[in-house]
Amino acid sequence: MPSHILLVEDDERIRTSMRLALEDEGYELAEAASGEEALELAAQAAAGQPFELLIIDIMLPGMDGFACCRELRRHSAVPIIMVTARTDTHDVVAGLEAGADDYVTKPFEPKELAARIRALLRRARATDGTTASLTFGELEILPEAGVVRLAGAEVHLTRTEFLLLCELAANVGKVLSREQLLERVWSYDYFGDGRLVDVHVRRLRTKVEPDPANPRHVLTVRGLGYKLTP
Amino acid sequence: MWPWSRAVTRSRHSRLGLRTRVTITFALGAFTLSTALGAITYFTTRSSILHQENSALASEAYANADTLRPNLTSYTSAADTLSNIDTVSGSESFLVLDGSPIEIHFDLRQANIPTALFELATRGTPASETFRLDGVVSLAIGVPIPADNATYFEVFSLAQTARTLQIILASLVVAGLVTTIAGTVLGRWAAARALRPLRDVSEAALAIASGRLDTRLQTDDVRDLALLASSFNRMVDRLQQRIERDARFTSDVSHELRSPLTTLAASLSVLESRRDELPDRSKQALDLLAAEIRRFQRMVGDLLEISRLDAGSADFDTALVEVGSLVRNAVASTRAVVPIDISTAVASRLLLVDKRRFERIMANLIENASRYAGGATRVAVVQRDDVVRVSVEDEGPGVRAEERTRIFERFARGSVAAGSRGAGGGTGLGLALVAEHVKLHGGKVWAEGRPAGGARFVVELPLSDELSITAEHDAAGVTAGERRG
Repeated sequence: MPSHILLVEDDERIRTSMRLALEDEGYELAEAASGEEALELAAQAAAGQPFELLIIDIMLPGMDGFACCRELRRHSAVPIIMVTARTDTHDVVAGLEAGADDYVTKPFEPKELAARIRALLRRARATDGTTASLTFGELEILPEAGVVRLAGAEVHLTRTEFLLLCELAANVGKVLSREQLLERVWSYDYFGDGRLVDVHVRRLRTKVEPDPANPRHVLTVRGLGYKLTP
Repeated sequence: MWPWSRAVTRSRHSRLGLRTRVTITFALGAFTLSTALGAITYFTTRSSILHQENSALASEAYANADTLRPNLTSYTSAADTLSNIDTVSGSESFLVLDGSPIEIHFDLRQANIPTALFELATRGTPASETFRLDGVVSLAIGVPIPADNATYFEVFSLAQTARTLQIILASLVVAGLVTTIAGTVLGRWAAARALRPLRDVSEAALAIASGRLDTRLQTDDVRDLALLASSFNRMVDRLQQRIERDARFTSDVSHELRSPLTTLAASLSVLESRRDELPDRSKQALDLLAAEIRRFQRMVGDLLEISRLDAGSADFDTALVEVGSLVRNAVASTRAVVPIDISTAVASRLLLVDKRRFERIMANLIENASRYAGGATRVAVVQRDDVVRVSVEDEGPGVRAEERTRIFERFARGSVAAGSRGAGGGTGLGLALVAEHVKLHGGKVWAEGRPAGGARFVVELPLSDELSITAEHDAAGVTAGERRG
């Protein structure tokens, strides 16, 4: 069955051409012209066949892509790819902070977008792999159940944040470079952007660290990458 | 261009600095003024002193003549009286009685008296005259005593007065010198002070020229110069607006082109996936379309990148990276197969770089080699003192010596490539971007010829001081890698 993807883009021509191109790649596309419409469609689909991935343009009339993303994230861990018009750190980081898993910059090659979609979907489906439960102080990770608890209370992580935490936990005490994390968490080889890792680590810290300003578990190793300590 | 050429001519004539000229003017002014004032003071004082002295001495001479008159009865009594008078007045007297002189001093004889005065007085006209007696300035006064057929001469020494006048003169000369020196010092100070705003203007202009467009002059400093400062600031405002408008225009144009390009790229990929179903002529047209759309995409990307660099709004995201992995990753990301020559010693050294920018540098250089020289044949990394040189070599036609600087300019392509531009499909911005990225890292880039033929593009980057990576746990979670410009 083809993957069900929602494309949120206000420019009709871009929307149509992207739908045509992604359908060629074997995906089934639903279209929304605004953030409001996207939320409505997502809510409707949640009852039956929920979307497996969303592609959201940042520049939307009314509710913008960031707001739409944040709203979706309140009750969904679905992979989200942001479409930005610029590569400036501001838009990219703001998109990732809003909860996007990745971003592409206009104009992009549909092949590149398709590769990212494939990677995120493959990863999403392969979540249930590891078995043991891991405990670091007050932080408890149940990879199989997809659950993370901090001092007994369940923490809601996006799929990317969860995979990032699992990857660091599986290599406890070992430094993982941004490239390694991109490869293992995002399944990217050469087209990853280190900022993806940085922003997700930051978001992860706000959720799993008792004091995000003074992280105890998810540590930065300057110039090398990140590591998890017990 | 009249005002300009005029400015040039004027500056050629005035070799002396404005500061020196103001100083000289002040010094000359002070000198002239003090000399004139000194001269007036001296001559006024002199004539007034001499006048007073003359009338005092004249009255004394008349009084003495009166004293003498009753004693003119005999030669002896006259001579005695003369000596008495001289002792009291401190002067020297001389008398002509009935045509014969009575001289009581060896140095004052009839011959010593100025002839004109002697003649006048003996003929009955009282007179006085200044002259030198044995080298001493003296005043001779002749008083006729007609009743007794005598003429009385008294000679007063003016040495004291002369000394007083000398002292006054000396004081005035010293005062004049002091005034001149003071004028010079004042001139220097005034010139420095008056020229300070000019120095500020030139410093501000230099700052603006070096790219700090937000530099402005203070307008509230000196009221007379507020006009200059405000018009200067207005000029810079306009300049800044223009530069920013130009940069924004490039950026806006590129942004506006992104949406249609996205549609073009997506539609193109739909067509390309059905390429085999198309007739030959359509295939050919599709291939052309594809090549040009991709080039257009790259060009917009490069334009945006360069406009961000121009606007100074580009991110500069540096981290300490090992030279070896940096170069290997960058070359690998281009997906070109190029042998890399790097010694283990250099490979473990650290560079503080923006990895994405370094990848762009390598990608553009390797792309440039494949576009114009049949592909890069070798990437070599060497260390020279505290810099690392990464060179991309090819075995193509090389770059002519006179074009080695020009090819790093925007839209300037080598003449060799000009003929094959259509097939090349470059954006004309690749090497310009390389130069900008390298500059941002504080490095240098240049092209040179290889002895064996072909070209070598060398990127020189400064090595980091830190010798190896120290694993430090950044408590705040902010690292060099996360810091953004």
